[in-house]
Amino acid sequence: MVQLTLPKNSKVVRGKHHPAPEGAKTVKTFKIYRYDPEGEAQPRWDTYDVDVAACGPMVLDVLLHIKNTMDPTLALRRSCREGVCGSCAMNIGGRNTLACTHGHEDYGNSVTVAPLPSQPVLKDLIPDLNLFFAQYASIEPWLQTDTPEPQREWEQDPKDRVKLDGLYECILCACCTTSCPSYWWNGDKYLGPATLLQAYRWLADSRDEAKGSRLDALEDPFKLYRCHTIMNCAQVCPKGLNPAKAIAQIKAMLVERVV
Amino acid sequence: MVSTAKQHRTPLARARGLGAAHHGVSHFIIERATSVALVPLCLWAVWAGLKLAPVGYEGAQSFFASPVNAVLAILLVLIAARHMSVGMRVVIEDYIDDTAMRIALLLLNTGVAGLFAALAVFSILKVALPGLAAH
Repeated sequence: MVQLTLPKNSKVVRGKHHPAPEGAKTVKTFKIYRYDPEGEAQPRWDTYDVDVAACGPMVLDVLLHIKNTMDPTLALRRSCREGVCGSCAMNIGGRNTLACTHGHEDYGNSVTVAPLPSQPVLKDLIPDLNLFFAQYASIEPWLQTDTPEPQREWEQDPKDRVKLDGLYECILCACCTTSCPSYWWNGDKYLGPATLLQAYRWLADSRDEAKGSRLDALEDPFKLYRCHTIMNCAQVCPKGLNPAKAIAQIKAMLVERVV
Repeated sequence: MVSTAKQHRTPLARARGLGAAHHGVSHFIIERATSVALVPLCLWAVWAGLKLAPVGYEGAQSFFASPVNAVLAILLVLIAARHMSVGMRVVIEDYIDDTAMRIALLLLNTGVAGLFAALAVFSILKVALPGLAAH
């Protein structure tokens, strides 16, 4: 039945305040979610008055500045710093995005930073994405063929290659999937926008010979049809992709198969 | 969602779950086909409602004596009931997590839609075919 009470760790309490260092020129407040599930304490909002003149322009630069100079206990994932790896996906100013490609200038004087919503938190800004990546693995995201491999590469017509544009760019940052209300309610069964966009990336590939079994594995009231075209996925995608459109194309392929 | 750290099932086992049900496309088509059919039928229903408002029960009897009107009215209630039940089904599947409660509500949903359709069809036939009610 509908859950009317939230688990204890859903309540976020007020945390510590870290004032700006003396002589700070341009101060901006960052309100950051802090939680260690292995401890007894409730999650809390810590606030940091950051001298943004002393660090780089992106939100990730600010977070690393906090970690290096104000509070080394802050935990976050990051790797490439240029929007390619997807590690620093988090909820900034109420919107899932990559900390490395969004400047703090885009937000007001107070910026809220939280982990991606709806996933278990491992620590602070680090969500547990095990299920997310397992869902991706479950759609078998590789070229599947029965024809013996050619001596050289599998050939593809340029007009077929174009069909992969808007799909192959996905970096699996999970911004879209964790912004989807349908995934919040049924994330254990619904595959979510990122995985379905990837599923369509292989369905749309002219070289793949497993379209039938791929569609078989997706035709399910929960795995695919929980998409109700809410479109949060397309709104938040930091790469400007449209997972909702890819999902609609999978649905169209399933209709095409029976009519 | 429960933390994966305390579970012994692997993430892939959780992701695959019980596998795909291999159904869903028929529901998808029914949702859309009934929506399309309801556009002209609802326009007709508005027209019929305006026409029937001033004429009373005898006027309605002569209106539904026409096979076209009676058949359109029956199609309207049957298709509307189907549309209602598939739509409500999605809402129940979305929000009701408990399996037993979900099954109970899905049965209730189908039952209510079926009852609505049967009552409506009987009512239309009763008005359309006065001889039917005499027995």
